[in-house]
Amino acid sequence: MFVWIAAVMALLSGCSGQEGGTEAAERPDKLVIAVGSEPEGGFDPAAGWGLYGSPLFQSTLLKRDNDLKIVNDLATGWTVSGDGLTWTVEIRKDAVFSDGQPLTARDVKFTFETVRNSASIVDLTNLDQVVVKDEYTVSFRLKQPQSTFIARLITTGIIPEHAYDEQYAFRPIGSGPYVLKQWDRGQQIIVDANPDYYGQKPGFEQITFLFLGEDAAYAAARAGEVDLAYIPASLSGTKVPGMRLESVHSVDNRGIMFPYVPSGDRTADGRPVGNDVTSDPAIRQAVNVAVDRQGLVDGILEGHGSPAYTASDGLPWWNEQTIIRDNEPERASSLLEDGGWRDADGDGIREKDGLKAEFVLLYPAGDVIRQSLALAAAEMVKKAGIHMIVEGKSWEDIEQGMHESAVLFGWGSHDPLEMYNLYSSSFMGVEYYNPGYYSNPEVDRWLNKAMHALTEEEALAYWKNAQWDGQNGLSAAGDAPWAWLVNIDHLYLVREGLDIGRQRIQPHGHGWPITDNISEWHWKDE
Amino acid sequence: MTRVSFDASARVHTQSAAYTTDYKRHSLMILLSAAVLLLVMLIAGWLTDPAAMTVQLENRNLQPSLQHLFGTDWLGRDMFARTMKGLLLSIQTGLTGAVCSAMIAAVLGISAALLGRQADRFISWLMDLFLSVPHLVALILTAFVCGGGMKGIVIGIALTHWPALARLIRAEAMQLMTAQYVLVSRRLGRSLFWIAGRHLLPHLLPQLVVGGLLLFPHAILHEAAITFIGLGLPPHQPAVGIILSESMRYLSSGMWWLAVLPGAALLVAVRIFDVLGSHTQRLLDPQQYERL
Repeated sequence: MFVWIAAVMALLSGCSGQEGGTEAAERPDKLVIAVGSEPEGGFDPAAGWGLYGSPLFQSTLLKRDNDLKIVNDLATGWTVSGDGLTWTVEIRKDAVFSDGQPLTARDVKFTFETVRNSASIVDLTNLDQVVVKDEYTVSFRLKQPQSTFIARLITTGIIPEHAYDEQYAFRPIGSGPYVLKQWDRGQQIIVDANPDYYGQKPGFEQITFLFLGEDAAYAAARAGEVDLAYIPASLSGTKVPGMRLESVHSVDNRGIMFPYVPSGDRTADGRPVGNDVTSDPAIRQAVNVAVDRQGLVDGILEGHGSPAYTASDGLPWWNEQTIIRDNEPERASSLLEDGGWRDADGDGIREKDGLKAEFVLLYPAGDVIRQSLALAAAEMVKKAGIHMIVEGKSWEDIEQGMHESAVLFGWGSHDPLEMYNLYSSSFMGVEYYNPGYYSNPEVDRWLNKAMHALTEEEALAYWKNAQWDGQNGLSAAGDAPWAWLVNIDHLYLVREGLDIGRQRIQPHGHGWPITDNISEWHWKDE
Repeated sequence: MTRVSFDASARVHTQSAAYTTDYKRHSLMILLSAAVLLLVMLIAGWLTDPAAMTVQLENRNLQPSLQHLFGTDWLGRDMFARTMKGLLLSIQTGLTGAVCSAMIAAVLGISAALLGRQADRFISWLMDLFLSVPHLVALILTAFVCGGGMKGIVIGIALTHWPALARLIRAEAMQLMTAQYVLVSRRLGRSLFWIAGRHLLPHLLPQLVVGGLLLFPHAILHEAAITFIGLGLPPHQPAVGIILSESMRYLSSGMWWLAVLPGAALLVAVRIFDVLGSHTQRLLDPQQYERL
């Protein structure tokens, strides 16, 4: 707390100090930001640190630039063998860890083997073995060709073999732009610029990350205590003096997942699978057509968002043909009529063979945005004669019911593997992936082709075909196993004069992703 | 001299008599108006058109006006309708909780007096046990164990609010047990059950009614508290606690009506019950209304 106050004081005095105007470069080289919650598991890439946002302390083999193009970071080049099974990466020779030891191919091997063996959310089961070719060349052998393996090279921070132990997550040593100076559990971390960093020197000597909730971050921004804060859309309407609002596009999407199969089955542990109403394509299509996506963006996100049609809108592997016309309850009604759903008893809800067009829509009880989206969407589809019974539940309860009820989920990743996980029949009922038991052999074929493609370019075409190839597809143009609703723009209050570069489309998760290009941040010269 | 003193004393006498009747009439008036106010609230909650509570995005974040007395929230739901529905729910919960509590208190209080020293010791221990745990903690635990929902909250309130009243009933019943007519009744061979039913209960009824009424505000506030922290009910259900906790998020953007008006409504409802309870007590038990 005292350190925090001291940091704020230093910052404030720094700010007032530059009033004299004798030296333009007098702006403080320290930054205080509030962009997210504390990473529970610490800063160990093997435990998932760095999946979203910059790993800060470590650096990765490859990275995406602000256009999401893949560029070298630690690597100086990479090749894939003709069968797609061997990836060879050459790494730069001038990289050193923050303890002075050089970073070599052995550390890369050690990192990937550690990540593979750890039970984290990073899935490396397809990695067969890592071979050190020479001091600065390493090759990865895969069990099956996997074009998305490149995402692992982009997100996995390299850890030092000589300095890795159980305490590593709390005392990270790496080759990234920053080193951890101090960590006050539950409050903040303070990081210093790494003097040995091989890349472009970061614009700030020291950055303090405060772990505040969105509301507290907003309050701190109002009080002038932080230079950058992440805020919820509900607070975007009021101006904060000295700060500007940055709205960053994202694939942080929200959508309704429908159970795709009729009811009757159960999972191995006894949870019911399937829903007789949502297994009818007419119902799924009608929901997709009836909702007013732009209305949801304007009404719930206060305009800070965009309509969502797939899980990957705007990303290189997105197929633009998946955009459908929506906010058309009449068209939804006629789709339902054609599908045999009629309102015979005049209660406003259609029936078919004695089955009412109603189903439960679950949302996580703690999430206001999802609650609002669920309630508003239910109101919209009611016009077409579909009754969505909205229920707020804990994640534990949602897990129990997610195979037989529609669920308001959120996804969004910089890795096309997510599309495979969500829609491939091989992921039916695996954790939160494909909980609706969606499967279409044609879509599976495209997805597998994309996975086994040798290059990303080749894979992109297949990913797009999986969404819609003219006849089949996993998007609303095709089977519509989901009704994607909105992509949520991520909102940040940024101090006037602080340049945070051009922000790329952010993945799921509000906060940390903004740090992706943190080493580019600087004060604008005026 | 004597005349004057007689006059004076007579005047004092009549004054005090007038005071008692005034006092009673006054209490009755307050009681009636409070009851009417409450009834209006209940009917308002009951008659509220559910359509007013549906999401209307084009009407969101409206300030209080004649059309929307309490304004609308961020989804365009009418806050007056939601508050009234919430209060109705609170009152229902409070009613069930208070009645159950009063019943538990009656049974345990009378048993303690009736069934001898061992039973008394056990029941007193039980009361102390429940009194030593803070209400809210016990409530949270019960609501959690019951797996959420209205049921958990009602059971929680019923289980936590009886000890204070039970103590009072026990003391009263103890005193009654030494009364002549009860002693005679026992000598005549009446069963304990008969005594409890014929002698104790009629005598204790005023205390029970007043105690139950005075439990009401507690029960309502605790219902609001427990829904405020998000236990039990789904978050889109209109309950006063949920409405208030939702409003917290919008305070910093200046939407004061989301918190102030439902909060004031809750305050009024609780105060009405408080007034109802204390004035019923004055009417039923004029000598000892200080005791509860």
